[in-house]
Parts: sequence; C-alpha cells; structure tokens
Amino acid sequence: MLTMEARKFVWEGAIPLQVHLHESEVTTVPYPPPALILAPRLGYLPLLASQIKPHFSSTLPPGADTIWFEYKGLPLKWYIPTGVLFDLLCAEPERPWNLTVHFRGYPGTVLIPCEGEDSIKWNYINSLKEAAYIINGNCKNVMNMSQADQVELWRSVLNGNLEVYSRVSSKLKLRIVSDEYSAASNVLSLGSGQSLDETDVAGQDKTGRVPVRLYVWSVSEDVDDLEDAPPVDCWDKISYINQPVEIQEGKCFTLHDAVTSLLPEYFLVNSLIDEEPSRKRGEEEKKDLFEDANMGKDGGEILCQHTKSCSKSDDVEIKLIRIQGIEPKLVIPFSWVANNLMNPDYFLHICVCLKVPRLKI
Amino acid sequence: MESPKATESPTAVRKVVIHLRATGDAPILKQAKFKTPGTDKFAKVIDFLRRQLHRDTLVDHFVYVNSAFSPNPDESVIDLYNNFGFDGKLVVNYACSMAWG
Repeated sequence: MLTMEARKFVWEGAIPLQVHLHESEVTTVPYPPPALILAPRLGYLPLLASQIKPHFSSTLPPGADTIWFEYKGLPLKWYIPTGVLFDLLCAEPERPWNLTVHFRGYPGTVLIPCEGEDSIKWNYINSLKEAAYIINGNCKNVMNMSQADQVELWRSVLNGNLEVYSRVSSKLKLRIVSDEYSAASNVLSLGSGQSLDETDVAGQDKTGRVPVRLYVWSVSEDVDDLEDAPPVDCWDKISYINQPVEIQEGKCFTLHDAVTSLLPEYFLVNSLIDEEPSRKRGEEEKKDLFEDANMGKDGGEILCQHTKSCSKSDDVEIKLIRIQGIEPKLVIPFSWVANNLMNPDYFLHICVCLKVPRLKI
Repeated sequence: MESPKATESPTAVRKVVIHLRATGDAPILKQAKFKTPGTDKFAKVIDFLRRQLHRDTLVDHFVYVNSAFSPNPDESVIDLYNNFGFDGKLVVNYACSMAWG
C-alpha cells in the first residue's frame, strides 16, 4: 500500500449524517425533515453550518445563531474531528449517523465557545503547533509560516485537498519517523526519482516522537455486543490522554506496543516482544495487514486473545481500537499507522475501548 | 473528558507547579506560581488566571504554554507537564491581547 494511496483513502473518508433540528427550536408545523449531509472525517462539525442552516432557517425561533450538535444527549466537542467523534461515540457504527443540531441555547458549561470558522482554524493551528513542538522540540516552523501559506494550509484542510495540503505542509519539515513499510512499497511500485527521495528521507531519521491523542472508554465484561453498550452520556466517562509515543528504530514496534505504552496502569509494556513478528515477517505480511484492517468479528476475537496475554491482570483487555474508522490489527507497525493515519494536525487520534470487569461508578 | 491518572500510585496524585508569566501589557500577578493536581484539566489553569486577573473576558486564546501554543482546555496538566514542562514546572504565558497567532 502506497503512502499516498492510504492517505488518499483517509482524506476522502466521510460519514453520512442525518441531522435533526432539536424540537425545542421548531416553530412551524409540520416538523422540517432531517438534513442529509456527507461530513468529511477530517473536518469539524460547525463547518457544516452553511449546508445545514438553509434546511432549518425558516422554522427557527428569533435570536442569534450559535450552532452546536448533540448525539444521544451528549453535546459534541467541536474541536474533535468529526471522524473521531463518530469512532468514539458510535460503538456500533450507525449509517447514517443521527445527530441533533441546535442553533440556540449553547451549553457554555460543557463546551468552550465557538465563533465559527475562526475558532476552528485557531484550534487547528494550535494543535499543529503542539504537534510540531512534540516532533521538533519547538514550533518555529509553524510560527514562521507565511500568512499566505497558513491560509492555504487551512483551506486545504477545509476543502479536503490532499495535494495542496501535502505541498504546503511539507514546508513545515515535520517528518515524524521513517516508515520502511511505506518506503519499500514506493520503491517497488514507483521505481522513479520520487521513490529515491522518499527513501533518502527515510534513511535520515532514526527515532521519532509521534503526537498522539488517545480517547479511552470502557465497557463492562458482560457487554459482548458493542451494540448493547450504554451510550457515552457524559464526557467524564472518556479518558483523554495526550502523550507522544517514542518510536525506536531497529526493532519492530507495533500498534499494540504503542497503545499499551500509553496505558501503563493497565498493561505491562514490552511483554509481547517474543510473540511479535520479526521484521522480515512483517515485510511479507504488510499487504495482509492492511487488507485485514477492516477485520470482522473473527479478527476481533483473535485480537482479544492476543492482548489478554499481556494485561497486568487478566481483568482488563483491549476490546477495540479505531483509527480513521478502521480497526487495524494490533501487530501492524506503528510507523505505518503514524505516517498514514494521522490527521492534518499531525496528531494520531486513537479511540480505544477497554473491557473491564465492572464499570466503576 | 476525564483526565488520566497522574501516577501509577493510587494514593498520591502528583502535583504540578505552574509558573504564570505575563506577556505584553498583561498585569503581573502577585502569585505567579501555584501547585495544582496533575489530573486537573488545562481549563482549570485558565479559570485560575481569569479569577486572578479579574477578567471574565480573558479568552482561552491568550493563554499559552512555553510562549508557543494554546493547548485545548481538556488536556490534563500532567500530560502538558510531561510533554512540555522543564525545570520542574510548566510555564504558562498569558496576554490580554493576542500574543502569538
């Protein structure tokens, strides 16, 4: 799988939404029908305002608009990318995703204020700066960006234009880590000057810090089917961990290694080394790894057995990991995950569902 | 969102020293350093500043880590300290107008 090809899939990812106006804001009879909208995974919900508003403008009560969304009663944090919200809150992916939109009564105690596109752009740039700080130890490259480049970068995120994004973001020199799996494929498939560039860059970096935002929620062990899991009705039920993952080259470092290293209170680190595929096997398996990324229930069971063996106690295990809507196998090399599945803010957003003996109340 | 556990030990929540530094025309605080539990969110730091400065209008935009970026308010203080702290403290700069774009 080519680096760019995988990234293209990620950038084209979208979630069909069925958006209902909250009943308290409907002033006309009959109720307006819901709006059907395709929301880019890498986008942010309030950016859909211009598409959603026309559906409901004629029925809204008088007042000023401040758009916000909720899912099953939970106000959605606008600065979390839409795809991450879906992966996190929709345990059993629902299509279309039924959301409720509000234009009045902003819940200021739960959500930080959002003043439209400016707030979201500001949030994006700051997230990018934070990632740059993690990767390079400073964020000079982002701060020194020309105004024109900054606008172009933001517009590429807004419009989902990977080509423009790649061109502008390459100036930031935020190469996280070399990814032998992607680079090797490039050599095989392209065999041109471009591939040489890729491998040259790959050869320079020996270690890397990958900016990660990890969202963790738990289900109790008696929940077999995620469909039966109670919905997340409060943000306090989600642990939010912002820790970079340090990749050291020279050994196979998998997604499993990365996630368990971020959850030391639950998992022993590096206890699985002997069970990991050697680098050579990893090479051979790289195609299978991606094909299996959308694994079904069978794969899930294997995966659970795999993780159970390294839990500090046998009572906590990883039930599910979702990144960009896929459920990758845990043996996939983390460098591949980092390079291909990160968001445009250079953060890898990972949703993890833990299976725990009893939910702590 | 809930902040992660600060330490592996359940008995002691690790505390983080926050060093507040004024930028531009922002008033300097009498109490520039304070300790806060690592499990607190960055939003608590912003609230503390609001109270100290008696400015309800102080926006999140004007609070920075290491003169560099504004973290999102859900990030835990311990994560910020581990990632960006040095000399045993987390430096938080505040301004009353936009300091770093």
